[in-house]
Amino acid sequence: MTAPNSSERKACWDARDQLWKCLDDNGDNAASCQKSQSEFEANCPAQWVKYFTKRREFLKYKDKMQTEGFKPAEGPRQPS
Amino acid sequence: MSWFRCIVGDVRGGGRLLRGLPQSPGLPQRTPRCFLSRGPGPGPPGPGLRTRVGVGLLVGGGLLAAWWFVDSEKRQNQRRRRVEQLKQVSLGQGVFSLLDHRGQRRTKADFLGRWVLLYFGFTHCPDICPEELDKLSAAVSALDRDASMPPVQPVFITVDPERDDAAALDRYVKDFHPRLIGLTGTPEEVKHAGRDYRVYASAGPKDEDGDYIVDHTILIYLISPDGLFLDYYNRMKSQDQITESVRNHIKNYEQLDPQPEGP
Repeated sequence: MTAPNSSERKACWDARDQLWKCLDDNGDNAASCQKSQSEFEANCPAQWVKYFTKRREFLKYKDKMQTEGFKPAEGPRQPS
Repeated sequence: MSWFRCIVGDVRGGGRLLRGLPQSPGLPQRTPRCFLSRGPGPGPPGPGLRTRVGVGLLVGGGLLAAWWFVDSEKRQNQRRRRVEQLKQVSLGQGVFSLLDHRGQRRTKADFLGRWVLLYFGFTHCPDICPEELDKLSAAVSALDRDASMPPVQPVFITVDPERDDAAALDRYVKDFHPRLIGLTGTPEEVKHAGRDYRVYASAGPKDEDGDYIVDHTILIYLISPDGLFLDYYNRMKSQDQITESVRNHIKNYEQLDPQPEGP
């Protein structure tokens, strides 16, 4: 399969931006953004869909860390 | 001559000598301290002052020249040491042999004599490679507009030789700077070139379409006409920052290695 060219890349990025805007507006409620989701999947190669989905999760996580702070997970109890 | 008499008059022995001399109307008053700024008698400052100022300027100028010379020597030595350090790091010291996007064989030697901005990536890259190449292209274009700058050569080397053959690169480089050269080759040749620049590259798992993402170092390398790695720019560097940095490198560049004699 050939790599997406410049206009195909742009179409994918625009669809992704639409989806992310929808998710932002709907509090990450995937159900409300079904249309944008299908647009996104139609305009982007499967690998890119996976990549951008993971990227969004990471960006959300990073945001959370920066605003809410980091709570270290409780480690195993030390044997007394 | 009066300033000379002044200095002599200050020294004890000279003072006694002076006191022994017959007084004449032209001589200055014998005073324990000597004001060098005063000329002979009540008249305006004579050649004495001008001579003193002249000598002062000469000495000052000499000191300045000496300082400048020593400083430029120091800077020259610093640059030599930096080049030695870069040679120690040995990035890009090897010789690569790759195929460009028109199917022509290119080696490292072909790029000597030119400033090169180099980026490793792959054409199936979702967003990072196009963004970095856009940045790189914009920096090169900005430098193109500066008539005092030599043309910088943008180069793209693939980390995905399995999919990125010359035809794929030809399609890809069209979207960026017109001088952008894409390079590919056998997996061995590409691995060798990547190793040369300590580029990390790792292909991810293939999906049902056989598609995969290649994880890789995201850096733009600046290479001097000597073929030496001089600087690098990461994702945080803006197009303007890269342009300015390259401009400074080019301006301050001094050929420390003698140019090889042409055939």
